[in-house]
Amino acid sequence: MSFLVLVPLLPLLTAFIVMTGDRAEQDQNARAGLLPIVASFLGALLTLALVTSGGPVTIQWYDPAAISNLAFPIGFYIDRLSAVMMVLITGVTTLIYRYSMGYMYQDRGYRRYLGMLGLTTAVLLCMVSSANLVMLFIFWQILSWLLFLLAHNHGHAATLSGAANTFTMLRLSDAAFLAGIVLAYSLYGTFEFQTLFTRAAETPITLFIWPELGWEMNGVTAVTLLIFGGAMGKSAQFPIHTWLPRSLYAPTPIHALLHAGIINAGGFLLNRLAPLYGLSPSTLHVVFIIGMLTAILGATMMLTQNDIKKTLGFSTIGQMGYMIMECGLGAFSLAVFHLIAHGLFKGTVFLNCGNVIHKARQEPSFPHLDREAEESEFSNLTWSTGFFTTLVLPLIILLVTHGVLRIPLLESQGTVIFLFFIWVTSSQAILSLTRIRAVASWKVSAAMLVTLVIVVFTYLFAVESFTRFLYPNPEEVASYFKAAALPGRLFDSLVVGTTLMTVLSWVYLYAHAHGRTITIPHWIEALLVRLYVVCTNRLYLDQAYLHIGRLVTRVAHRLEKRLS
Amino acid sequence: MRAWMAPWLLLALPILGAGLSVFLKASLPRMKTVALVTTVASLCSVIGSALVLGEPASGVPFLCLLPLAACLSLLGQPLHRDTSAAWPMTLILLGLGLGTLTTQGLAHAILLLLLLILLSALLYRHQPDPAPDAWRGLSSFSLGLIATLLALTLPTPASNIATLVACATLFPLLPVHSGFVATVGGLPGNLPAFLAMLLPMVGFHDLQVILPTLSGTVLRTLGILALASALYGSLRALIQSRPLPRLAYAALAFFGMLWWYVADTGTAPIPATIYLSAVGLATSGLLLAWFAIRARYGDVDLRALGGMAYPMPRFSTLLALLALAALGMPPFGVFSGFLSMLLLPTFTPSASFAIIMLVWLTASWYQIELVQQLVFGRARLEVRYEDLRQTEFMSLVLLLFLLLVLGTAPSRLFESNAPTPPVSTASQGNTWIR
Repeated sequence: MSFLVLVPLLPLLTAFIVMTGDRAEQDQNARAGLLPIVASFLGALLTLALVTSGGPVTIQWYDPAAISNLAFPIGFYIDRLSAVMMVLITGVTTLIYRYSMGYMYQDRGYRRYLGMLGLTTAVLLCMVSSANLVMLFIFWQILSWLLFLLAHNHGHAATLSGAANTFTMLRLSDAAFLAGIVLAYSLYGTFEFQTLFTRAAETPITLFIWPELGWEMNGVTAVTLLIFGGAMGKSAQFPIHTWLPRSLYAPTPIHALLHAGIINAGGFLLNRLAPLYGLSPSTLHVVFIIGMLTAILGATMMLTQNDIKKTLGFSTIGQMGYMIMECGLGAFSLAVFHLIAHGLFKGTVFLNCGNVIHKARQEPSFPHLDREAEESEFSNLTWSTGFFTTLVLPLIILLVTHGVLRIPLLESQGTVIFLFFIWVTSSQAILSLTRIRAVASWKVSAAMLVTLVIVVFTYLFAVESFTRFLYPNPEEVASYFKAAALPGRLFDSLVVGTTLMTVLSWVYLYAHAHGRTITIPHWIEALLVRLYVVCTNRLYLDQAYLHIGRLVTRVAHRLEKRLS
Repeated sequence: MRAWMAPWLLLALPILGAGLSVFLKASLPRMKTVALVTTVASLCSVIGSALVLGEPASGVPFLCLLPLAACLSLLGQPLHRDTSAAWPMTLILLGLGLGTLTTQGLAHAILLLLLLILLSALLYRHQPDPAPDAWRGLSSFSLGLIATLLALTLPTPASNIATLVACATLFPLLPVHSGFVATVGGLPGNLPAFLAMLLPMVGFHDLQVILPTLSGTVLRTLGILALASALYGSLRALIQSRPLPRLAYAALAFFGMLWWYVADTGTAPIPATIYLSAVGLATSGLLLAWFAIRARYGDVDLRALGGMAYPMPRFSTLLALLALAALGMPPFGVFSGFLSMLLLPTFTPSASFAIIMLVWLTASWYQIELVQQLVFGRARLEVRYEDLRQTEFMSLVLLLFLLLVLGTAPSRLFESNAPTPPVSTASQGNTWIR
C-alpha cells in the first residue's frame, strides 16, 4: 500500500517541473506539470476505492513510542475521511490548474504561481493524510506560510498588507493549536489519533486552573478548545476571520483553491478529531456558538459589500460558520458533505468571477441594469408556490415524520437538526435561485417544487448515505449528537426563534412586494441604518485590531524611551 | 594524545591561525583563506579529539557548530580592509570559546575571564559616538567579569549565584542582557554573526553545570526574569526600524524562552541545546543576510529599501527562509527544538506557558515585517540591485542546511555519551493539578 504515498507527492513533481524548467519553455513545462496533478487525482480516486473496500491504511516511518525524539514524525493514515478530502483537493486543483494555464498566461508570476499551486496541493494532501497530530500541525503551519505567499502581489501595497495580516492571524490560531498539542501530549502521552481517542475516553482528567478560586476544567475540553482555536483561524471564524476579506487581491484562481480547499481545513480538523470532540459537550457548545455567530455575521456582512470578491469572501465566511455550527451540533458528516458541496460551488463561482470582472471592465453596460423592470412584476402563482414549498410543505413533512413515521423528534435533536437544515437549504435555494420577485410563470413554480424535492432527496438519501460511509457505526453518530445536545429549552427556543424570524421575513417580503407599507418603529429603522454602516465596515474589526497593534507599539516605544 | 591536551589544542589552533592571518594582512584574499582554513582545521580538531578521547560533556555535534558558524560567517565576508580586522578576532574568539567549553575548574574560569575582557575591549574599541548602548554593554560585561572573579573566591551557594550572573551576561537575560545586544548591534564585520552563536553557547554550558545546585527560589526568580526578558525582547524587536537591534532583541526574546523552560523544569535537556543552537544559527543567518545588504547600501533604515524579490531572487529566497526558521516554522531547528522541549515528560503546561506562546507568536509579526519590507513591494528605481555573490550565497545556504539538519534529525543523534546532568534538586512541581 506504500504506493499511496505517491498521491500527495505527485503535485510536488508539478512544482518541480514548473519552477525549475527554462523560462522560455514555461508553457510546455506548465502543460507537463498538469500530468502529475491528473495522476494524483486518479490516485486519490483509487485510494478512495481501496480504503472503502479494505479499511484505513497506515504507513509509519517512525516509532510511535519515541515520537518526542523525532522532530518530523512522517507517516500517513488514510481512512475514508482522508480519501474523500484527497479526491476533493486533487479534483479541484486539477480544474484550477488547467484554468490557470489560460487565465494566468503571460503573467509575470506565471511559473511561481503554478509552482506554488503544486506545492500547496502537496501540503494539503499531506495534511489530510497525516498519521499523527504533530505531522498534521507541521503541514498546517506550512500551509499558513504558503497562504501568505499565495496572497502576494508584489507591486500592490494593499495586497502586501493583507498578506501580512493573513499570516499574523493564522499564526495566532497556530499558536493555540500548538498549545493544544502540547497539552494533549502532556495529559495523554501520545499523538497517535486512535490511541489519543482511547486514552482520552478511558482516563478522565480534571485540570485545576486556579485551585484557590476553584477553577477547573476537563482535560479533553481544554485540549479541544485550544485545537479549535487552530481550526478557527484556517476556517475564518469570528473574530479572527478578518484575514480572508483582506487577502482578496490575490489572483482569482487562488481564491478558487482557497475557498474550495484550504479553508475547509478547520472542518477537516474537527472531523479528524471528532471522537475527541465527542467527549466534550462544553467544547461542542462553544463550537456551535462561534459557528452560529460567524454564519450570521458573515451572511449579514456579505449583503452589504459592494465588491464581487468581497461579497463572495463573506459568503464563504458565512458558509464556514454554518459548517462549524454543524460540527458544534454533532453533525460531523453533514459538515464534510457541506464543505464538499460548498467547495465545488464556490470554486466554480470564483473561477467565473474573474471573467465577470474582465467583462465588466470591457463592457460599460455590464452588469445590466434592468432590475427595475423585473421588480415591477408580481405573480400570485409564484408567491403561493413559494409559500407552500418553503413554509407549508416543511410543516407537513415535520408532522408526518413525527406522527406517521413515529420518529421521536422531541427527544432527538439530531433529527430535528437534519430536518431544520433541509428546510433552511431548500428555502434558501428556492428564494435565491428562482428570484421569485422577478419571474412569473408555472415553470418557476415547477422549478421550486423540483428544488424542494432535490434538496429533500439529497439530505435524506445522499447525506444519510454519506454519514453511513464516513461513520459506519450508527452508535458513534448518535453519541456525537448526544454529546452536542443543547439544553432542551434553549434548543426549542432556538428552533422556534429561527422559525419565527423566517416566517416574519416572508411576511415582510410579501407585503413589500405588494407595495404595502409596514410600520416599523423609528428606532428600529435608525438601528437598521446603523447596522448597515457597521456591517459595511465589517464590524470595524480591522480598525480594532489596528488600534490594538498601535497600542502595543506605543507601549513598546514608551518603554524604549524610558530605558534610553 | 592525552586528555588534558585536547582543550589546549582546540584553543591554540584558532589562535595560531589568527596570528598567521594577521601576518598575511597585506593580502586580503590570503588573509581570508587562512582564516577559513583555520576554522576547517579547528572543526577537524574537534572531531579528531573526540574520536581519539571520547566525547566532551557538551556533545561533539554542538561543539562542531562553533567552527562551522565561524567558517560560514567568514565565508560571505567581502574582501575589504574595513572588515578584515574582524577575521583574526573571530579566530581568537573561536579558540577562547572552544577552550571555555572544553575545560573545567580554574582553566575554564580564566578562559571565561579572557573572553569577557576581549569582548569588553572590542566594545570599547568599536563604540560609535555617542554610544549609550555600548556603555551599557560594557557595564554588563564588567558585571560578568566581577561575577566570574567572585565565583572563584566565594563559597557555594554564593559562587553559584555569581556564576549564574556571569552566564546571564553571555546567554542574555534581563537585566544583564545589554552586553549581548551591544555586541550584536555594534561590532564590525562578521563578529556579531559569530558571537550570536558563541556567547549563548558558552553561557548555556555554564548554566548546565550549575543547574543541579540551584534552589527553588532561584529557579522561580529566574523564571520571572526569563518571562520578563522574553516579553521585553519581543516588544523592543517590534519597534526597531534598523535590523541589527531588531535581530538582537529578537534573539533576546527567544533565549528568554529557553531560560524560562530551564527555570520551569529545572532541566536543560538535549532538545534545549538544539533550540539554543538553532536560535543562534538563525540569528547568525539573518545577520549575515543583512551584512550582504549593508555591504551594498550601508547601514540604512529598513524603510529605505524594498522590492528585492525580482531583482535579487537568491537573496530574497534565502532571507525569507531564514526568517521562517527564526520565527519557528517547521522543518527548521527552532521549531523542532522548541516542540521537542515541550514534549518531554519534565514539562507541564502552566499559566506562564501562555505568555511564552504570545512571545512565540509575536516573532511572526516582526520577522515577517523584515521580510516584507526588504523582499516585497515595488522595486525602487534609485536602488542599484545586485544579487548575492557566490560566497555570500554559499554561506547562507549552508547555514540554512544546518538549521534543516537540526530540525529534521532525531534528537538521539545529538545525545552525548557523557552522563546527563541530573534534574535540579529544586525543579518545580506541576502547575496543573490532575
